[in-house]
Amino acid sequence: MPLIDLGAAIAIAFNYFTIIYLTGLGGLFSERSGIVNIGLEGLLIIGTVMGAWGTFTYGPIQGLLIGGLAGLVFSMVHAVATVTFKVDHIVSGVVINVVAVGIARFLSQLFFGQATQSDPGLPHLTAINIPLLSSLPLGLGQAFEQMSPMVIVAFLVTIPALFVLNRTRFGLRLRSAGENPEAARTLGVRVAPLRYAGVGISGFLAGLAGAFLSIEINGLFREGQTQGLGFIALAALILGNWSPLRLMLGAFLFGFAQAIPLRLGDAPVISLLPPQFINMIPYVVTIIAIAGFIGRVHPPAAAGKAYEGAGAT
Amino acid sequence: MTASSSTRTRRSLPPWLGNLIIQASALLGAFTFAALIGSLIIIGYHENPIDIYSTIWHFGVNRPEDIASVLVNATPLIFSGLAVAVAFKGGLFNIGVEGQYIVGMMGAAFAAIFLRSLPGPLLLIATVLGSIVAAMIWAFIPAILKVKTGAHEVVTTIMMNGVAVSLVAWTILNPLRSHARHLIDLRSQTFPHNALIPTIAQTFGLQQQIPPVVRFTWLFPVALIACVLVWFLMYRSRLGYEVRAIGSSMGSAEAGGVSIGATQIKIFLISGALAGFVGLNQILGDKGYLGANYEAGLGFAGITVAFLGRNNPIGIVLASLLVGFLSRGQDGLSVTSNLPIETLIILQGVLILSVIIAYELVSRALNKRTQREARSEESAVDTTTTAGAEAT
Amino acid sequence: MPLVTLEKVTKSFPGVVANDSVDLTLKEGEIHALIGENGAGKSTLMHVLYGLYPPTAGRILVRGKEVKIGSPRAAIAHGIGMVHQHFVLVDRFTVAENIILGEEGGPLIDLEAAGQKLAELARSYGLGIDPKTRVEDLSVGAEQRVEILKALYRGVDILILDEPTAVLTPSETKELFENLRRLTGSGKTVVFISHKLDEVLDIADRITVLRRGKVVGETTPGATTKQQLAEMMVGRPVLFQLDKPDAAPGEPILELKNLSCEGKLHDIDLTVHAGEILGVAGVEGNGQGELAEVVIGLRKPSAGAILLGGDNIGGRSVAECRRHGVAFVPEDRHERGLVLDMTLWENSVLGHQGEREYTGRSGLLVIRKIKELATTLIERFDVRARGVNVTAQTLSGGNQQKLVLARELQGDPRLLVAAQPSRGLDVGAIEFVWKQLLEQKAQGRGVLLISAELDEIYELADRIVTLYEGRITGEYQPDASPEEVGLGMTGKSVAARKAEAGR
Repeated sequence: MPLIDLGAAIAIAFNYFTIIYLTGLGGLFSERSGIVNIGLEGLLIIGTVMGAWGTFTYGPIQGLLIGGLAGLVFSMVHAVATVTFKVDHIVSGVVINVVAVGIARFLSQLFFGQATQSDPGLPHLTAINIPLLSSLPLGLGQAFEQMSPMVIVAFLVTIPALFVLNRTRFGLRLRSAGENPEAARTLGVRVAPLRYAGVGISGFLAGLAGAFLSIEINGLFREGQTQGLGFIALAALILGNWSPLRLMLGAFLFGFAQAIPLRLGDAPVISLLPPQFINMIPYVVTIIAIAGFIGRVHPPAAAGKAYEGAGAT
Repeated sequence: MTASSSTRTRRSLPPWLGNLIIQASALLGAFTFAALIGSLIIIGYHENPIDIYSTIWHFGVNRPEDIASVLVNATPLIFSGLAVAVAFKGGLFNIGVEGQYIVGMMGAAFAAIFLRSLPGPLLLIATVLGSIVAAMIWAFIPAILKVKTGAHEVVTTIMMNGVAVSLVAWTILNPLRSHARHLIDLRSQTFPHNALIPTIAQTFGLQQQIPPVVRFTWLFPVALIACVLVWFLMYRSRLGYEVRAIGSSMGSAEAGGVSIGATQIKIFLISGALAGFVGLNQILGDKGYLGANYEAGLGFAGITVAFLGRNNPIGIVLASLLVGFLSRGQDGLSVTSNLPIETLIILQGVLILSVIIAYELVSRALNKRTQREARSEESAVDTTTTAGAEAT
Repeated sequence: MPLVTLEKVTKSFPGVVANDSVDLTLKEGEIHALIGENGAGKSTLMHVLYGLYPPTAGRILVRGKEVKIGSPRAAIAHGIGMVHQHFVLVDRFTVAENIILGEEGGPLIDLEAAGQKLAELARSYGLGIDPKTRVEDLSVGAEQRVEILKALYRGVDILILDEPTAVLTPSETKELFENLRRLTGSGKTVVFISHKLDEVLDIADRITVLRRGKVVGETTPGATTKQQLAEMMVGRPVLFQLDKPDAAPGEPILELKNLSCEGKLHDIDLTVHAGEILGVAGVEGNGQGELAEVVIGLRKPSAGAILLGGDNIGGRSVAECRRHGVAFVPEDRHERGLVLDMTLWENSVLGHQGEREYTGRSGLLVIRKIKELATTLIERFDVRARGVNVTAQTLSGGNQQKLVLARELQGDPRLLVAAQPSRGLDVGAIEFVWKQLLEQKAQGRGVLLISAELDEIYELADRIVTLYEGRITGEYQPDASPEEVGLGMTGKSVAARKAEAGR
């Protein structure tokens, strides 16, 4: 197998990893606070269009931040619906996804003069070569050449994420809201703000991931460019058993699966499989995993349930 | 979803009437709110909201053709909403109507193309069955996984949707593909004419009033019949009774001798069968082929329609008409105003969320009242209810 | 000066006054028992004191100063802590994480330091616990210790315990009482909410009795008797002896042979005869729920046989067990009995919906017949409801239980499995339920009565067996002393005890 293709495939996998991982990590914060968020796809979409606009207007760094903030703002719709008004989390998530497509078109029309895409050629961050790794032999080095700094950010964000979840007061309380909100409330911890925060983090990270997609990968906004990556992030989150490190692994595997049809279509075995079947891998793997063939996953105990206690409002 | 059945306003009013009044006013409030938000956007575009709203109205009701297109828009949503609702009544969330109808269209295409020699209406029947069976198979997988392994249907159906999209893309490119030269877009071979659903205009000779382009087929009356059948199933049959018992209290249903797994599989299959009708109008209306650019998202739209319609067949028809009407208005706006048509998609979202929130608030208020009445009924010392108050 | 004074505290909810002008004082270092029937307002009163509900009227004074307690946090700041009846712990957190939650001492958490502080605290009050264990791995008694530590960690002086013994085995109860005495010995004050009079007389320094939201008396264990307390609670003389007709046991109806189930039941052998009530006594969580559910078919036995009139129904579905004549009054009527948002007529046929009378050949319900049935049941059992078209959740708890009984007793079952049939009911409803169970016996049916209330068992049973950790640990006649039966409930059969004594 030509390793040069493998190197290129890994490079692409890193890009997809970044989207899936950041989005999944956001979902992790939301779900561990007790709010199921299947609106991740919609939040990603908002990130793509706002990120593209921000980049055209101010530059890539600002574009990424604007994408994240837009995701955060939009995610508040989900938070208000599910936390304050106790709407079913799934229904609200579905509506978020449907509405996001409309908003993205609306904004695209407003910003770019056409509803379904922007001009290409968005300015992006300066790509970097990772020292040492980028000079790996046999073409493998390609995987670490011309890498977006955001990929490194995505890897590094694991550290604060783990720290916040496990070592801070906020993290402890957030987890308690997702596991047993009643316990939190009886100890004077207000559940609603924590859940707002959890959803907000998911909005920011998904928006950031969306902006990364439009700015750093495609160089433009285009309708449909998220291709269900928000759902794949959800799959990675479930497969990762709601833990950041395992999510990271899942995100990389699914990112790699995305890269296969693009770069490894001619490799042995794989060339026998049509690309559409390779695209199914993340979904099929997730179905198999949650059906219990690999081992049960444990969502946060109170995730998806409205909390009726007085402290929730 | 408890309030609709547990309402009681004043002693003098029959419960269903009070129920209706409260729900109607909640709806009205939600509509007003959505219209206000919409007005803000419209004013932002220097247009007059009243003009815009009246344009939408006229585009939906002016000519028979307009009304027919609203009905055409509503048709798949009725099926999709019913599919979501029957599952939901049984406590199951079928997010997979999306994938099920896509696979259903594929099944229909297979039947129409590979059984093309079937004579007359037999081919149409086979094609429709092809769609239903394919969609049911797609629904069966998450259902059996739920029952056998406990895998949550929300997650599995989302994943099945992803698989469906890729699978159908592959079949359009391979076994179903048309190699006709002049085609630009990817699509299946064209179906024989007798695989298509006749339009109502054709049957009654109304082509003048309702052009074939509108695709107003007999599928719409079928959708209405499906509503009646679903109502009968849910409220008059033993299966429906058991399904509702599971949906409201699985433990009590189980102790009442209801076989949970078997019933859930049955209702998921019925849901899948309904999903099998969702895509039919777009491929068997007048197109006569399955294109790679088929209309997606109808399954998700079904979720919103089901919730707008309170999972009730009549409500689902009304909600579908509403959404169909708004989409029709979208077409109108694109012709007559500067307003981006996407405004209406956003408006639709705002409307859906505010209706759902309004319902949520109403049902909570009604529940409280029900409990209060139960309490006052037995004066202060009743146990469960006070325990309810004591539980924190 | 009293530590805490409640002055004319009233708490009303829409439609009900839970506490009506209640006066109560707590003295430093005492164990103060608050007793009353279900729904008498004990928990509500303490929830007001703990800041979960604002009082509708009245004053709360702590150490002589009037305070407003708007939240549990405020209560804790005033030195008031509470252990709820149902523990509120995060199962997947460790003991330490559970305890510091809400009191982390800064934006960062230090589990090491917290664990050390905890271990010290636990040692000083004799509450053995490992801070690093996950709560899901703890026993019920240990979970309760975590709840108590949670309060002590916050430096409370007053500890409110809501029905703390309901979930404990007798030996755990004994341990709890020792711990409570140690706590009061070191200056803490304990409020002990209960409706178990023997325990109250054993542990309390003072007793306040609530009835229908009002204080009806205050006394001390030395100045009262169980009978007097019971009368105060109920408001009229209570006959602790119902008129129990003698048993005339006939043929065996239910025979369990070497029955085991999912590691929760082991080698159960027992027989229920026609015209007999067999009482299964035991502390909750020792397999009672599983025993009831395995007989009605909700669980599959892993070994052994369930013979109903000679046919083995083990492993059959619920529907089949019901067809064989098993009826079931569940422990939790909301979870296992009624579908609360369905109508009374729909609920009245649940369990019989498959019968030809109610479902025609077409698979459609025969609604007219079902409504007739519902009307009959409601009349016969005096269920207070506005017709059969209202939902079950509009009924009070007592009426809900009557509806369940009425439904289960239709169609002439051979065996009635009744699990905790009087739970959560007031005295009037309890009497009704008990009479119905005796009536079943008189009609020659078999009754398997499973109850955690020894009183109820004595009241009704013709024979008593004790269940401990999923095993039958003894069989007794109803004239056996409560002490003897209590030993069985803790796993010590009389024979074993004698062997022990002989050693």
